[in-house]
Amino acid sequence: MSRSLTKEIQWDWWTTIIVLVMIVMGVTNLYSAAYNPERPFLFDFGTLYGKQLMWIGFGLFLGIVASLIDGEYIRKLTPIAFIVVVILLIAVLFTKPINGARSWLGIGPFGIQPSEFSKLTTALMLSFLIAQGRVKTVSKKTVFYVLTLVFSTMFLILLQNDTGTFLVFTAFFFVMYREGITFDPIILYVLNNLLGFRFKQTWVGVHFIPVLFVVLFFSIITLYFSESTHSFSFLPGFDLPGWGLLLIILSLLFVVSFVLGRNLLGQRSRRKITSILLIVYLSTVSLVGAISYTYLNVLQSHQKVRIDLWLGKIEDKDGKDYNRNRALAAVGSGGFSGIGYQEAILSSPRSQHVPESETDFIFSVYAEEWGFMGSFALVFIFTLLLIRLVIIAERQKSRFARVYAYSVLMIIFYHFAINIGMNIGVIPVIGIPLPFFSYGGSSMMAFLMMIFILLKLDSQRKEVLL
Amino acid sequence: MNLEGRRIVFLVMFVIVGIIFSARLFYMQVVDDKWIERAAEVSKKKIEIKPPRGILYDRNGKKIVANKTYYNLMFVEDDIEDLDTIAFAELVGIHPDSVEVRFEEIRKSLDRKTKSKATGNDTVVNDYRSYLPYAFLRELSADEIAKMAIDLNNFSGFFEEPISMRDYPHPHGGNIFGYLNEIRPHELNADRNFYNVGDFIGRAGLERYYEKELRGQKGTRFILSSARGKVVDNFAEGKMDTTAIQGPALYLGIDIELQAYGELLMQNKLGAIVAIEPSTGEILAMVSAPSYDPNLMVGTRNIRKNYQELNKDTLKPFYPRPLAAEYPPGSIFKTVQALIGLQEEVITENTSFPCNKNLVGCHNHPTAQNIQQAIQFSCNPYFYYEAKRIIQQGKDPSIYKDAAIGLSVWERYMNSFGLGVKPETDIYGLRGGVIPNVAYYNRWYGEYRWAFSTIRSNSIGQGEVKVTPLQMANLAAIIANRGYYYEPHLVSSIGHSGPLPQFNVKKKTMVNSKHFDVIVEGMRRVVNEPGGTARRARLKDIVVSGKTGTSQNPHGEDHSVFMAFAPLDNPQIAIAVFVENAGFGGTWAAPIASLMIEKYLKGEISDKRKEQRILEGDFINE
Repeated sequence: MSRSLTKEIQWDWWTTIIVLVMIVMGVTNLYSAAYNPERPFLFDFGTLYGKQLMWIGFGLFLGIVASLIDGEYIRKLTPIAFIVVVILLIAVLFTKPINGARSWLGIGPFGIQPSEFSKLTTALMLSFLIAQGRVKTVSKKTVFYVLTLVFSTMFLILLQNDTGTFLVFTAFFFVMYREGITFDPIILYVLNNLLGFRFKQTWVGVHFIPVLFVVLFFSIITLYFSESTHSFSFLPGFDLPGWGLLLIILSLLFVVSFVLGRNLLGQRSRRKITSILLIVYLSTVSLVGAISYTYLNVLQSHQKVRIDLWLGKIEDKDGKDYNRNRALAAVGSGGFSGIGYQEAILSSPRSQHVPESETDFIFSVYAEEWGFMGSFALVFIFTLLLIRLVIIAERQKSRFARVYAYSVLMIIFYHFAINIGMNIGVIPVIGIPLPFFSYGGSSMMAFLMMIFILLKLDSQRKEVLL
Repeated sequence: MNLEGRRIVFLVMFVIVGIIFSARLFYMQVVDDKWIERAAEVSKKKIEIKPPRGILYDRNGKKIVANKTYYNLMFVEDDIEDLDTIAFAELVGIHPDSVEVRFEEIRKSLDRKTKSKATGNDTVVNDYRSYLPYAFLRELSADEIAKMAIDLNNFSGFFEEPISMRDYPHPHGGNIFGYLNEIRPHELNADRNFYNVGDFIGRAGLERYYEKELRGQKGTRFILSSARGKVVDNFAEGKMDTTAIQGPALYLGIDIELQAYGELLMQNKLGAIVAIEPSTGEILAMVSAPSYDPNLMVGTRNIRKNYQELNKDTLKPFYPRPLAAEYPPGSIFKTVQALIGLQEEVITENTSFPCNKNLVGCHNHPTAQNIQQAIQFSCNPYFYYEAKRIIQQGKDPSIYKDAAIGLSVWERYMNSFGLGVKPETDIYGLRGGVIPNVAYYNRWYGEYRWAFSTIRSNSIGQGEVKVTPLQMANLAAIIANRGYYYEPHLVSSIGHSGPLPQFNVKKKTMVNSKHFDVIVEGMRRVVNEPGGTARRARLKDIVVSGKTGTSQNPHGEDHSVFMAFAPLDNPQIAIAVFVENAGFGGTWAAPIASLMIEKYLKGEISDKRKEQRILEGDFINE
């Protein structure tokens, strides 16, 4: 099929505008966060904002160059790009660690972080691999290849001691879930070959990723409530432990969904629903019980303290939790409409109360200066971008483009959720940048290239790629 | 399997996260105030500004205690780059080796013992912070810092900081002003609202008594501080700041020139001079000999250097003789005895007693025909008889019980003259002297085991009676006023609001003022009539009235005592002079007193030979 026939520009202006708005917001905010009164000129390349503008320029240039390449060539170039970045990831291991992590590779006066680019190339490589299998159902082989790809890159990142990026790679599990690449073959292998069962498919294996997150969710909730006790006015002298309360709530939920399920569904699915509910209920109950028991009876006090710190149940103002505490104070003191642009007290570059306020904790500057209105706008625009990217992903005919789109949107979501989460104290401190806001050349260039390649692929969605 | 439906999982996840984040942000930023408080707690720093201390002026408006700017050589360790120790040591004038020693010393000085909560053991915590300023050298004079200032720019991390310290334009009156020294832990704990470690506090004299006034009101400045403790900006645009207010000036009754002259006259002598303005009770001069230059006690550097030396001195320059040295008053006491006798009507103006030297020793003089002559001649037997009539009034058949009744009456009279009681005045280190009472002798001899003959030495100011020079001068003021006095005090006005209220209270003695004229006439004769004991105190144009005394001293030569006031009508000055080991009161104390009176009233000395003789008098080195 000749491409020239369908060559019609289908550029997604929605995404482009949203990203450009974010870049403007990001530079504006960085100008305040890194303001140097002796060098107020925005384009002064001796300042962080000047450099960031330079990185944006490079990023846009690279992105536009990438978008000039035909989608098909992008796909074909993927393995080469992936291998180059893997070589860089290995090369970086022989450098001197900076702040405990080996992630910088010096090129002349500048340095790049290969791990930032590895997100892009791994996303491309994942799409490349999944798109290889031309049929809709997935073979064990594909599952094996995909998992090998993700885990081996994660391993290289782990060697760099870069927890943040390591964690971001679990985003690809969600992409796999969307593509129906499950952990089922592994679980089936264990069940059938080692334990002698005869299963064709397991529900847990198929829905491994959502289940995993439900398990994590309940574990954290359990840890949070384990030590608390609840008393009731109608039952004097009786104190209900936290895990007891959780079990009561779970049981109530089970009964309600059981009754609803029996009444709303037909005869056939009734049995299925009953068994699923029973399995979910029993496994959740045993999970809550096991975690409560371990937390209360097995763990030693110093281990408990670490968990409590992680959960934010206790505060260590000036110790390990110093950074987050200062960032939280900055965010919290923003008020409804903020202190005003360049008026930040706590997170200002003059007072330096918030460490890393140009990179990982840049949101604290933004939130202090723009208050709830600005913070809400930021959360809203990120959510808008993510929803728009889901729409883009789902309209791809090509599996390569769809997998790539999901990879990009999940990577952005991870960065957004973890970065904002730690800035507002709902997630422990994990050092990863906020896309388009945090200062950083590699991250800025990698994200711009990611978006531009996605938009290029999307613009060719009418053509059939692999 | 419908995989496209799984997009819902993603969309739901994004929306839920968006809602959770928005809700959390709303709670943190709009609902919960905890973070705003924490932000202030983190960034707001209170800086306290201590004003310079209040200034002291003498009665003629001369500045006698002022402030002078000194400098601390400060450093911030983090800002020091490549310190050239040898060049730096040379600049600040210390040995190169002691640079590092000094740094270590500063670090060590910030060790603090605390009790560990976990173990209950004492652990040492060090409060030294490499980003905070500390003083490398303290209290450098303007000259010293000026020498360093030019080259100080070459040493990053070092800078000068001005501090206010005391300055005494007239090097006199150290015993009056006291001095300032670093606050001690118990003083700090008593008033943590005002003081900080290393602050100066009044240690003696006026500086101590008027500490609360002189220190002024501290100001506060709230600053926005950086994470490293550096000043970034004013907090809340300075709306919460308060300014420091310097303490009010203290206006003293002291005449600094008279004080200086008194110290000059007392050179090479031990003793005290106290001069009081009778109409107000203001102290005009209060000399403690030997004296010292108050500038020797400015700042910790000087104190460390000079305190030990002054304190070791066997002549005890720190001992406040005018206030604390209790001496037997000698014959000046006869004036009070006479006044009590007249008031109690045991004698009249014209009562005469023989000069019976068998009773008690006396010098050769005509028999005193009346009380004026008894004072003029200072007749010992006269006052022995007279005092016996006061003590043994025959109110009880038992002489023992009778003596107890008489002594109680006598004690009350004495107390009304401010004798035997501690004055309630603005001076620290005062003593009240001794007026022995019934309980005193009962303790010594047993109840009803003593009578007048046992205690007769008191009648002529010897024995157990003890009086301080300040009380002697006050006695002179009482006689000058004919029967009343104001508590002797140093400060005539705090700012413009007058003296402390107790100094406006007129205190009356128990003796009727008509009796005083008799005594005053006796005292006039002491100086101005032939046969008087203090002819050396005579002045050409001024009528001095006085009374000599010789305070018996079992350890050596007697002490020379003289009290006087002048002019006769409208007295301006009442004075007591006490010279240790100088013998008869008329020889040394009297001429010193007259010189002081002339200096105060005339401003110059007419009899240079008299002055010369006093200046050459030396009772220490001979």
